[in-house]
Amino acid sequence: MYPDSDLEMLMARYQQGDLSAATGLIHRLSPQLHRFFVIRIASREDANDLLQETWLRIHKVRNTYRAGEPVLPWFYAIARHVRVDHYRKTRRTSGREERLDDMPEMAAIPAVSVKPPDLEALLAPLPESQREVVEMLKIAGMSLEEVARATSSSVGSVKQKAHRAYEKLRERLSGAGSQARTGRFS
Amino acid sequence: MKDREIDEILTRAAEAPHAVDPALLDRIAGTIGPSLRPVRPRPAARVLVGGLMLISVSVALAGAARAGFYGIHKLSAGERALIFPALGIFIWLAAMVCVSEFIPGSRRRVAPGFLLGAGSLALVAVFAVLFHDYRTDHFVSQGVVCLVAGLLHAIPTAFVSWLLLRRGFAVNSAAAGLVVGTLAALAGVTMLELHCANLQAWHVIVWHTAVIPVSAVAGGLLGLRFQTGSRDKDLPTG
Repeated sequence: MYPDSDLEMLMARYQQGDLSAATGLIHRLSPQLHRFFVIRIASREDANDLLQETWLRIHKVRNTYRAGEPVLPWFYAIARHVRVDHYRKTRRTSGREERLDDMPEMAAIPAVSVKPPDLEALLAPLPESQREVVEMLKIAGMSLEEVARATSSSVGSVKQKAHRAYEKLRERLSGAGSQARTGRFS
Repeated sequence: MKDREIDEILTRAAEAPHAVDPALLDRIAGTIGPSLRPVRPRPAARVLVGGLMLISVSVALAGAARAGFYGIHKLSAGERALIFPALGIFIWLAAMVCVSEFIPGSRRRVAPGFLLGAGSLALVAVFAVLFHDYRTDHFVSQGVVCLVAGLLHAIPTAFVSWLLLRRGFAVNSAAAGLVVGTLAALAGVTMLELHCANLQAWHVIVWHTAVIPVSAVAGGLLGLRFQTGSRDKDLPTG
């Protein structure tokens, strides 16, 4: 994670046509944006495509960033737009096929272990709107206000989604923990 | 399990490194590089809001000047003091929401749908409080004329507003279309209040206010069409 002022400075230089600033932003923000796509899309190839598409879009509309405004919500709002667009396009082209691992009830429940749990698997059972809020809060380290900006919603709505996501995670993690203790996960 | 424990699990999971192929990042930088030129950042939000308000008021005044200021002459001072400030407030709100819809990651103070609903209901309430002549002479024929006149003034307002905002980027084209349609409609309603001398309650409540949802829905549909159209262009053909 990087201080916002650092990113703001890079963004200002990027707007002035500085290639090293553009490259710096790409290298700093791409991992978290890529992860943002991987969690929903579940395919690294698609996530790679979306990452490229996002940067091209960012490049095209870089004039819309205003100095002094938070940087991350601006990036995430565009990434979210690309992701939603991809989702709709895929839904239209692949008809009504539904992948088994996309279905919340069928998603694997991560076993409680010493090893850090896989974030993708951990968030898989959550509905899209709750998942993206948790992703932005936890991966990007954004504040509630910044998440509200990125998702074009209110702080209250973000809080509510985060609360519901935590309730679901609590249910799942407690369930997984007790199953692990009774030996169902070996 | 407490929130703090879930928080810790999520934080630990988020800290796990997530690598992206460096070749991919170089490719992205390489694609962007050749077209990298300085860009002029957009003007401050208040400048754009002022511009949109100016467009709306100018179109309404120009329309009423051409058709005649019969309505404002017939209104009492109290009626003018309530109707025009109410329209002014909603034009200002709509302009603010318009600007934020065209800047990714901006704070959304009012949702476009809420603005449409609240704006329409507030005007209905203002008209219902002020006008008590419940006759319905030539209700449909005169009403359609006003609805069409309002919409005909909404169209240029929407077009010029779009010209002002076109350097922005709407992450949700349908919502952006809806709010531009609402703003344009408010210019249309302002023109009607300046021009229309028919102060029968049902005429004003139904036909003048109807300009707002009709224009907003048309804007929303255009935005949706644009969204779908741009996706279709992206789809591989053959």
